[in-house]
Amino acid sequence: MSPTRPVSNGANGQGNSVVLGPKDRLVGQLFIEGDLHVSGTVDGSLEATGDIEISGSGKVSGAVTAYNRLVVGSDASLIGGEVRVARLTVEDGATFSGKVSMGKPEPKAEEPKPAEPEQLIQPKAKRR
Amino acid sequence: MDVQEAVAEGTASVENGEVKRDGRKQFSMGPGDILEGKLIYDGSIHADGKVEGEVRVSGNIDVASSASVRALLEGANVTLKGQVEGAVTARDKLTLGKNAKLSGDIVVRRLQIDDGATLNGHVRMGDFESHTSGQ
Repeated sequence: MSPTRPVSNGANGQGNSVVLGPKDRLVGQLFIEGDLHVSGTVDGSLEATGDIEISGSGKVSGAVTAYNRLVVGSDASLIGGEVRVARLTVEDGATFSGKVSMGKPEPKAEEPKPAEPEQLIQPKAKRR
Repeated sequence: MDVQEAVAEGTASVENGEVKRDGRKQFSMGPGDILEGKLIYDGSIHADGKVEGEVRVSGNIDVASSASVRALLEGANVTLKGQVEGAVTARDKLTLGKNAKLSGDIVVRRLQIDDGATLNGHVRMGDFESHTSGQ
């Protein structure tokens, strides 16, 4: 496993989980070590080492990077950004546009990482 | 167009890989079939085996999980379960099944991506009012 990658990156791990509720707004950049749930409005870029879920009537305009999984709910919207994720779920009804780059669906966290998923992590690895 | 309409109305029968179902034509390929070139078809296609080139249909496109497609695809509802390389236009909905692998730009009205699917490319959502909508 990459040393830059937190041991847990799932929803139930010790990584923290940040929630932006329906009335919350964010303009700018956000990096979260852990998971991120957005049901509010985001104008800017999001990056999380775990999962990102845009649910409810959440609206995100900008780049999204999830080291694990991105879920865009049926009433949610993600527009215009560069999307880099390992796994992606877009529910029917969602608004979704942008440039999508995906590695292979990531294996279990304890398996050794081949070179490819590493590239997804590398560019931002220095941030810690 | 190189597809023969040799099937009687209403009866479900197979001829030249063509099946009629509910009065709509269906072009059905098996896992060993190969299609190379350009197909413009007034009906739906079930693609399996190998497809290379361009496929534009008025109905739906359904790519089987064992299929390998390197083609431009355009249809009303497009459902991918196998590997596709090339641009995809879905005038209605594009569905990527859990084993689908798509690299190419897509233009869709509605989009559903199941967990496990792989997508690399640009996604654009738009309307297709003045487009070659299905007859």
